[in-house]
Amino acid sequence: MNTDYLPILVQFLIAGGFAAVTLLISVVLGKTAQQRSEVKDQAYECGMLPIGETQPRFSVKFYLVAMLFVIFDIEVVFLYPWAVSFQEFVRDGVWVAFYSMLGFVGILFLAYLYALKKGALRWSD
Amino acid sequence: MMPAYYLEAAVVILGLVLMVMEAFVEKADKSLIAKMGIVGLLVVLVSLFFVSGPAEGDDAPIWSFYAVDPMALFYKGFALVTTILVLIMSLDYRSVLQHYMGADQEKPGAGIGEFHYLPLFTCAGLMWMASAKDIVSIFVALELVTISFYVLVAFMRRNVGSLEAGVKYLILGALSTGFFVYGLTWLFGLSGETELSKIAAALGNDDSAMVRYPKALLFSLAMILVGLGFKIAAVPFQIWVPDVYQGAPTPITAFLSVGSKAAGFVVGYRIMEPFFANHVAPQLVTLILAISGATILLGNLAAVAQENFKRLLAYSSISHAGFLLLALGCSSSTTSPVNVEGVMALYLGGYLAMTLVAFHVMCLVRAQLGSEDLSAYKGLSKRSPFLAGVLLVAMISLAGVPFTAGFIGKMYVFLMALQSRYFVIIALAVVGVGAGFYYYLKVVRAMYWDDAADDQSVQISTLSKVAMLTMVALIVILGIYPTPILNLFAA
Repeated sequence: MNTDYLPILVQFLIAGGFAAVTLLISVVLGKTAQQRSEVKDQAYECGMLPIGETQPRFSVKFYLVAMLFVIFDIEVVFLYPWAVSFQEFVRDGVWVAFYSMLGFVGILFLAYLYALKKGALRWSD
Repeated sequence: MMPAYYLEAAVVILGLVLMVMEAFVEKADKSLIAKMGIVGLLVVLVSLFFVSGPAEGDDAPIWSFYAVDPMALFYKGFALVTTILVLIMSLDYRSVLQHYMGADQEKPGAGIGEFHYLPLFTCAGLMWMASAKDIVSIFVALELVTISFYVLVAFMRRNVGSLEAGVKYLILGALSTGFFVYGLTWLFGLSGETELSKIAAALGNDDSAMVRYPKALLFSLAMILVGLGFKIAAVPFQIWVPDVYQGAPTPITAFLSVGSKAAGFVVGYRIMEPFFANHVAPQLVTLILAISGATILLGNLAAVAQENFKRLLAYSSISHAGFLLLALGCSSSTTSPVNVEGVMALYLGGYLAMTLVAFHVMCLVRAQLGSEDLSAYKGLSKRSPFLAGVLLVAMISLAGVPFTAGFIGKMYVFLMALQSRYFVIIALAVVGVGAGFYYYLKVVRAMYWDDAADDQSVQISTLSKVAMLTMVALIVILGIYPTPILNLFAA
């Protein structure tokens, strides 16, 4: 048995246990309030309405924003490890680390200009 | 002389410039984008002759994952020529695109600009893949190609066929990438190296896990073969091909069938090559030959029944993948003076010329006669003798009539297979070639012997005429004098 992986097993147990315990608590606590009414059974706050089409159509703008978010999120994901090792590279005189990141961010910048010009971020209309 | 990777950088920069230009210069005609792309790529194609590899003692990190050898340079040129022709085709295909992009009266060219510069990014990916000799850089190049194809295949957003093709290509492309990268991780896990030359060196070491666990190594190679099988359209991973080829815009179908296939074979050859002289070679060769035989047989026999020209060429593309796989399968046993790289390059070079001519004709016929069915080709010789003539050359070359590039390519493949004594596969291949004569010449019959329904003629621009004539010349020249390509790869 490889003990290095024990924490992962523990995490699985905690995750499963948490789900089981919360479900159990809501069942136990829910029993105390048996008087149901129409109002109580309705969805509240951000819950979805229970009646309607199963596949409602969303505006394509949501997808555009989501895609742009992913792109720039990935950019940051790359920037972090790069920033950590950047000083070391520069100390060794490996300037290619700087120029390659410049190229990467530059391409993303052009893509951003493109998205801006094509109106991907314009919410109205 | 400049380092070879400047070329990829130049193509990417060209693509970015055109992207920004298309977005910000709204008044410009969108076909200008394609024309600038064609000119730019021609310049890059010429500068291909002025590049160099690492200088003596130059150990910059890039040379550990970027090869500059005849194979890399040949397939860079291959990618550039393909992209130039695809851009020329996309000019001829504009009216169809416009029709399916939604007729916006105020901006008639809206959304078409992207169609003209996205192929440049695919081209950069294909060029990088020709040079990639590290499994990470192979994977990144492959993704650049595949992701830009996802967009291009589904480009005609108001055409159900194109959307269906896009979804199928996306799902199967992602699946094949999964197989491919899984195989690569096994290879990395066994060898501990990402550089292909170091993996090859580790094979000679008896302590290496690759030697101690041949089954794991075979599993990894089989996964890589599955992943690449999707890209090159080999049986049993060919099911997506007819639908995607039929639905995608015709220039992109041409690009898929030539560029994607060539890239798959380059990568396959680079990864598999060290293992052909190794303890797993017998099993690996058996696997490749089995796939090859099935591909030749199914591709050719299924093509016989096709009534749609695009689907016919899709099955023809599958069958040619079979012949190329047969060449790959001969790697470990051939003793002929020509080597496998040379034969594959020759075959793919001829395949490029004849396939692109056929798809170019298809673009023009689709744009002006409105159909891709074989019935639309009835009496094409009267509508346009020029188109019928070039398509005739492409078809007889695809079938493999002597004095064409298609014949020479097939002849060398048969020669190598005979030397390697793969008689069963040769028998299957003969059946395939026989079936090929039937369905390729069916097109010729429709063009010359059947009568057209009306007397509408087909207009061809000078640029397209020049492009098609160049390719026809290439077919004939390679068919008579293939030595330059073979010499390029001679050891």
